[in-house]
Amino acid sequence: MTTTLSRRAFLSITAVAGVGLTIRIPLVDSAAEAAAAWDPNTALTITPDGIVTIHITKAEMGQGVGTALAQIVAEELEAEWKDVRIDYPTADPKFGLMLTGGSWSVNWTFDTLSRAGAAARLALVDAAATHWKVNAADCVAERGVVRHLPSGRSIRYGEIVAKVPISKTFTEDDLKKLTLKKPGEYRLVGQWVQRLDIPEKTNGRAKFGIDTFLPNMVYAKVAYPPTREGGKHTAVDDSGAKKVKGYVATINLPQLVGVVATSYEAAVKARDALKVTWDPGPHAGVSTETIFASFTKAKDDPDAAAWHEQGDVKAAMAGAGKRHEATFTTDYVAHMQMEPMNCLAHIDKDGVYHIYTGSQFQTFAVGTLAAVLKVDAAKIRLHQHYLGGGFGRRLEPDIMLETALIAREVKRPVKLIRSREEDLRRDFYRSATLQVVKAGLAGDGKIVAWENTLVASHPGKRWGPDFVDKKGLDQFALNGADHVYDIPNQVVRAVPVETGISVGYVRAVAPNYTFFAVETFMDELAKLAGQDPVEYRLSMLSGAPRLAKVLRLAADKAGWGTPLPPNTGRGVACVSAQEKKTPTWTASVVQARVDPSNGAVQIEKIVCAVDCGIVVNPDGARAQIEGSILFGVSNALRERGTVASGALVQSNFHDYQVLRMNEAPEVEVHVVPSTEFPTGLGEPGTTTVAPALSNAIFAATGARVRQVPLLPDRVLAAIRAKA
Amino acid sequence: MATLLINGKTHTVDVDPSTPLLWVIRERLRMTGTKFGCGVAQCGACTVHLDGQAVRSCQTTVGQAAGKKITTIEGLHPEGKHPLQLAWIAEQVPQCGYCQSGQIMTAAALLSRNPNPSDQDIVTAMSGNICRCATYLRIKRAIKRAAQGV
Repeated sequence: MTTTLSRRAFLSITAVAGVGLTIRIPLVDSAAEAAAAWDPNTALTITPDGIVTIHITKAEMGQGVGTALAQIVAEELEAEWKDVRIDYPTADPKFGLMLTGGSWSVNWTFDTLSRAGAAARLALVDAAATHWKVNAADCVAERGVVRHLPSGRSIRYGEIVAKVPISKTFTEDDLKKLTLKKPGEYRLVGQWVQRLDIPEKTNGRAKFGIDTFLPNMVYAKVAYPPTREGGKHTAVDDSGAKKVKGYVATINLPQLVGVVATSYEAAVKARDALKVTWDPGPHAGVSTETIFASFTKAKDDPDAAAWHEQGDVKAAMAGAGKRHEATFTTDYVAHMQMEPMNCLAHIDKDGVYHIYTGSQFQTFAVGTLAAVLKVDAAKIRLHQHYLGGGFGRRLEPDIMLETALIAREVKRPVKLIRSREEDLRRDFYRSATLQVVKAGLAGDGKIVAWENTLVASHPGKRWGPDFVDKKGLDQFALNGADHVYDIPNQVVRAVPVETGISVGYVRAVAPNYTFFAVETFMDELAKLAGQDPVEYRLSMLSGAPRLAKVLRLAADKAGWGTPLPPNTGRGVACVSAQEKKTPTWTASVVQARVDPSNGAVQIEKIVCAVDCGIVVNPDGARAQIEGSILFGVSNALRERGTVASGALVQSNFHDYQVLRMNEAPEVEVHVVPSTEFPTGLGEPGTTTVAPALSNAIFAATGARVRQVPLLPDRVLAAIRAKA
Repeated sequence: MATLLINGKTHTVDVDPSTPLLWVIRERLRMTGTKFGCGVAQCGACTVHLDGQAVRSCQTTVGQAAGKKITTIEGLHPEGKHPLQLAWIAEQVPQCGYCQSGQIMTAAALLSRNPNPSDQDIVTAMSGNICRCATYLRIKRAIKRAAQGV
């Protein structure tokens, strides 16, 4: 089972008889090139027992990605599904860019994995023909078996790799020329198969990063500064810590201060006994109020860069019959993945760092660790585990870095588990935002001019120059503001602001707040134009017929326009999330009841219609839509991170509340059958909820709420302002 | 020293009686199906049974658990085929899966005292368990399926 990769060999297949077949797809020969190409990479192995193991280089964080990707490979490979297994290999440059996020996984890999499966099938057919000394054109592969049609002989895949040496290389051109199945010929893609990772997630056997142990390991706890950014320890008194039973050592590095001990409890006690003197740094005075004040000032920045621009907005706005302007704000949102950030690190006798955790971005983590630890990237071995929730949190390598630094000091395996409080306070939040949207309408109500100024912190600035454009803007802080409505004159101005509160990527990312502004404002304009919100949108979707279709579908299924009881309303939103170039067309109708006496909102039902192109695993798709919609409900109703003294105020689930079963509404999902190229499903649903809910509250009460979360006091204030 | 009876087996561990049961089960005895989520009985990921009652092991001390029958997800059924575990697979409930041991243990305690729960009974019993992937609709369906013996 050896494969030699060369830059030229785009895909090489080798099998040493009796050992097994391995297929690799070296798209590029370095991680840096991989990052530039934004392309995935994977491999599969067939062993003589006939088992096909598909190596999943995407992180499994609940989206069922391993099963879906395996279905794609197995489809073209003509593997028997019962013979298919999956595993999650240790990070390696040979896999190219290892990154999971953005609802990209199926979209990025569908073509590549289909071709990998097809190439492996051809290699197996050739090998069987060679073995039989017959013409390969007379052989076919089907369900794990190659048949010679004239003689009726057959041989199983496992037997082929056991008996026949294989050496076959496919160039990029060869791969491009492969004939793939047409959607009507699919046998596995589009079929309901049970997720391969689910059984072990019902019996406690699934291994997450936190479930790893090594001999002689110790537990670390870090003392974190009082501010999210810029705090530093100036003095450390560990006399109390040393008295704690199980204390092993104090760690005092420029990057961090902490302790290690023989058990988790002892580490907590010893860390709590440390007396650390802090310089809180320059952001100690930062609060929600100062942040929004800085946003309000920034919105008028005359130098704000235009991220998206077409037509002549100034002239069109001046000539418009009616004009409207509104300001939308959203608060900080935390990931709150159920598995607090943790890591186990061990440096072996050869100086190799073994990192045990669950990562969404292995390529970035390995690169960061190598740079900070000043070791060759080949000496970082990131052993992948299940992620107890990702939602973007595990794109960040911070916990791995802390653990590796401590392991280097104590020269023993170190396990670091953050408490929930530490997890929340050291999170990389979805930025708070402020958006000012203006529009000009012609006499018939059509929008002729659109202007959006978007103030937010851009996570890409922290990640480095590769993650921002030439203007210094991070598209992942802006996507969605470039909506797909037919508006001849538009400009989106971006104002990135640094606040001292670290920001990152949280599920559904910018489209959470951009579509909140766009889709709520669209409702306001429909009202101004005296038109129905669904019809108004449809009149501007000539360039996006698939979005128009799901919008109609969601409206029809939700009974749009039919009467409702008092204080109850329906609101709609439709989106081209996550990115305009690879959208999953999604529309939701939220039905909600508002208690006008206290502003309390109850979501009664959400109907969501989706067109994501080809669906690989229909039940998995449905699960992702349900989950993403309810994540949106959680964001829209409850989640509000506030800041005081340079840090998040909230500390645990009691004051940072997320959705529980008692508030989970019914979700009805409609997926449009399609043979278009597949896009992603992990996030788009999330982005529809806040605007559709705000619009439902308006329909129920006539009060417009332009702040997310849509908290009762905000709803009540809007109701009172109207009266 | 404390003696704990977990899943029918006796374990003797050298810990202070005030140590949370969670850390002994997970990090000492390395039965890792029981998960750490919040440490303050807010999320339910660490739910185990103490004499058949669902408790949060992060807020239960070793001293409180000694002498009682402790059941973890690993001991719910010898082959992982408790009706709820089968229903969890049939309904394809888990996403990331991290909270699901706690969800199943809470649901198992519910069914043992109320074999045929109403929707409201389920919501009342389960709202202490957070699932950030929000698999709530499927959890509800799976509990009903298990209760009906499907």
